[in-house]
Amino acid sequence: MREFLNRLVDWFHRDRLERELAEELRFHQSLAERDARAEGASVSDAPFVARRRFGNATSAVEDSRDRWALPTLDHLAQDVRYALRGLRRSRGYTATAVITLSLGIGANVAMFGVVDRLMFRPFPFLRDPAATHAVYLRATHRGKEDWGYGGEYTRYLDLRRFTTSFSNLAGFAMQNLAVGTGDAARERRVATVSASFWDFFDAPPVRGRYFVASEDVTPRGAEVAVLDYTYWKNELAGRDVIGERLQVGNMLVTIIGVAPEGFTGVFEPAPPAMYIPITLYGGSNASKSDRETYYTQYHWGWMSTMVRRKPGVSVTQASADITQAFRKSWQAERDMDHSGESIAIAKPSGIVGPMKTAAGPNAPLAARTALWVTGVAVIVLIIACANVANLSLARALRRQRETAVRLALGVSRGRLIGQMLTESLVLTVSGAVGGLLVAHWGGAAIRRMLIATTDASLETFTDWRTLGAVAAIAIVAGLLAGIAPALLAGRGDLAATLKAGPREGTYHKSRLRVFLLVAQGALSVVLLIGATLFVRSLRHVQHFRMGYDAAPVVLVGINLRGMTLDSVQRVALRRDLLSRAQSIPGATSAAWVSSVPYWSTSSTSFYVAGIDSVNRLGRFTYQMTTPDYFATFGTRIVRGRGIEAADRDGAPLVAVVSESMARALWPTEDPIGKCMRMRKETAPCTTVVGVAEDIVQQQEQLTDPKRFQYYLPAEQVDPRAGSYVLVRMAVDAPAKTEQVRKALQPVMPGQSYVTVRPMVNLIDGAQRSWRLGANLFVAFGLLALVVAAVGLYGVMAYNVTQRMHELGVRVALGAQAWDILRLVAGQSARLTLTGVVVGSGLAYLAGHWVQPLLFEQSARDPMVYAVVAVLMIAVSLVASALPGRRATTADPNTALRSE
Amino acid sequence: MSIPLTNYPLMPKSAKRDLLPGLLDLLILKCVATQAMHGYAIAQYLQSATADVIQVQEGSLYPALQRMRQKGWIKAEWRTTPNNQRARYYMITTAGRKQLGEQQDGFTTLVTAVQRVLRLA
Repeated sequence: MREFLNRLVDWFHRDRLERELAEELRFHQSLAERDARAEGASVSDAPFVARRRFGNATSAVEDSRDRWALPTLDHLAQDVRYALRGLRRSRGYTATAVITLSLGIGANVAMFGVVDRLMFRPFPFLRDPAATHAVYLRATHRGKEDWGYGGEYTRYLDLRRFTTSFSNLAGFAMQNLAVGTGDAARERRVATVSASFWDFFDAPPVRGRYFVASEDVTPRGAEVAVLDYTYWKNELAGRDVIGERLQVGNMLVTIIGVAPEGFTGVFEPAPPAMYIPITLYGGSNASKSDRETYYTQYHWGWMSTMVRRKPGVSVTQASADITQAFRKSWQAERDMDHSGESIAIAKPSGIVGPMKTAAGPNAPLAARTALWVTGVAVIVLIIACANVANLSLARALRRQRETAVRLALGVSRGRLIGQMLTESLVLTVSGAVGGLLVAHWGGAAIRRMLIATTDASLETFTDWRTLGAVAAIAIVAGLLAGIAPALLAGRGDLAATLKAGPREGTYHKSRLRVFLLVAQGALSVVLLIGATLFVRSLRHVQHFRMGYDAAPVVLVGINLRGMTLDSVQRVALRRDLLSRAQSIPGATSAAWVSSVPYWSTSSTSFYVAGIDSVNRLGRFTYQMTTPDYFATFGTRIVRGRGIEAADRDGAPLVAVVSESMARALWPTEDPIGKCMRMRKETAPCTTVVGVAEDIVQQQEQLTDPKRFQYYLPAEQVDPRAGSYVLVRMAVDAPAKTEQVRKALQPVMPGQSYVTVRPMVNLIDGAQRSWRLGANLFVAFGLLALVVAAVGLYGVMAYNVTQRMHELGVRVALGAQAWDILRLVAGQSARLTLTGVVVGSGLAYLAGHWVQPLLFEQSARDPMVYAVVAVLMIAVSLVASALPGRRATTADPNTALRSE
Repeated sequence: MSIPLTNYPLMPKSAKRDLLPGLLDLLILKCVATQAMHGYAIAQYLQSATADVIQVQEGSLYPALQRMRQKGWIKAEWRTTPNNQRARYYMITTAGRKQLGEQQDGFTTLVTAVQRVLRLA
């Protein structure tokens, strides 16, 4: 190995080495002559004596030269030069191939960046990424297996206590907390971590220190914080902040350290603003019972656990250890609460899995979408490769005579194949460079959509993982695109080709090329059908009536920072906030709500005469609100009336129910005037006074007809409930958030504060995967269409050139321009049609898997298939029109003369 | 009598007058083990030390030096001779020293074995 490296080094310095050897041999010769003279030879004889004695200098030079010659490398250099010359000659071919490959490779590199970041790339500074895992716990609840277990701090303590496989365990959670006071308070992401967390990393703090075990203790940890580097630089100007105090939520923490640059802990997509002890957060919970019991009971799930395996402990052993610990912990919980299901029914178990949740057993939708899109990108690359293979195949056929002559002159077939492969490698290298550029620009957009980050730390050009991926993808692409033409070059009847002479009259039928064309067409059809399905699905989602107007509404969150207000104060605060909100210029109305669609729902039990158990019909959620709710949110009242100012404490109890709820409870009767008894069967009647249209509160309800929702006047039920305000703006709500915040913040007592965000953001977030699927499918589908069209055009144009002689003969025999055109277009149409049929078949089969990703759109909609088929055929006709026109110019004179 | 040392590997057909494969390497390593020498000095030294039994030719010596340099056994450096001429000097490396030890042992074992056979015959 070392010898080979040295040879390689020498190969690069071969000119210098040769000069040095010559000098060395001259020196040798001069000494030899001197000695010969000393032994009595004459001046004129000395050189000959010396040469006789020391033998053949030429062989010394030649044998030494072999030591730094690397024949393969010399050939390669020659092949590259040859390939570059050839490619420069046919610019159109080169440009088409390079652009095609750039797009194909770029799409894949961009997706690699996303998937790698989402699922595989270890967190920076992690000491031993291969042995570090997140803990995933599952249990069976009501017959359904669920991974959402293990969030309690007590559970974390149990895992620590009951396991032996781990050298370290840490608990961590991310919270949105207000940092700062008064008008300067802003919501920030704050990481709450155990002191053991820091031992997972090799990342000494740049300032101060990290917190230690004695500061991370129950019932309440020390009020200390470690800042994120970027937060420290941007918000605190990088000044010496150690010892300074900072209001975080309801905690007043002292800054003790700053994490190093680039440190993100285990948090995505961006680092938190700071890290505080997990027991500080647990012991500061606004709820008194959670604050006091979070480390002894199992009521509050809010965090995750990470572990590092001891050396020699396998993943399977570690997972088994977690499972037995979770079972013990499950039993402990049952012993304490005398509730929950038995171990035999719940089957609690656990695994140690990837640190990245996107690669874990409970992966979010974005991760699944990313994998789907990657599959699509791979198809685009395959199409691109097929295209380039086809083009270079055509090229190889055109150069068949040249190849034959070279073979006749004694070039080995091996060299010839090598040259073809080199040419395709040169193309792919250019394609890879182009692909990097495509990935750099396009990838930023995809990353923003998929992982919601504009983080520039993922530098396409300097990141070795990305560069490695580019190299791997490019090599595969180069081989895929180059192997067929290379094999063709090494084949064929030499004598026949040479005898055929310079006349290019033979039309080469190649089954491989037909196959490639059909495959390209078929894959394009699959992608186009996918694209159309996703676009239609997205349109259905966007036109779907959600039951409210999100666009003109801003959502105001109220955070009391642990401050407790009595009912009088709370009611006063609500009145102040609503009246202040209504006086904001541009605001049309405002309502106080207890829950927010796509954010939170509440439910409670109630009883209706004649129905045994309403809960068996489905889940009924309620909204406690103020009279302006329906006007503010745009939910239409279908029958009866909404909530009015008269529905106050002391007045008869009223409720408004959703249409589907009315249908489910009173299918044959008028719901108005019906009686609901809240919580207890003996409770007084709450009378239904109105029916409102159905609303969608979470993504699953889009396809679920059971949208059971009812509305109660907050004044009548619980004047203290609710902590959100909805404000309807006349125009441009998303731009008004800061104006709303400024107007409402002065109303807030003490350290409490408001957060304001556009309502559409909540819903857009949930619909992102649909939009993303549609956008990317359309982008890649069109890409595939363009690539396939270019391929078809190239092949048709080539075929026409090949057949000029034959066409000339046909014209001479009386064929009209129309006949010739039909001949060419017909061939193209036949190929395309085959592609359409095959592609539609594939899409039909794939429909089964795509269906769950679509909304109110059949994956096997014949209209979609028809549209795509027509589009493909139209494109194929356009692609063959130009070559067809040229075909009609076939000159019978030329054809006959050369016959 | 003089025995020409040919380049490695030895061709079996002309094996009659050739020495064992690798012997030239061993001898060169031994030469440069104690001090840096240039090619001519190595050839001269081998010739005089073996009382003219071994004559190394340029055609064998210089390719062997290149090969050993690429293997990392020796390194080369341009220096000035006492007569103020520029010459390339070769000196042994750590890897070369290890190689020398191994080859020396191997050679001694081989020679002992051959002698034993010759005595028996």
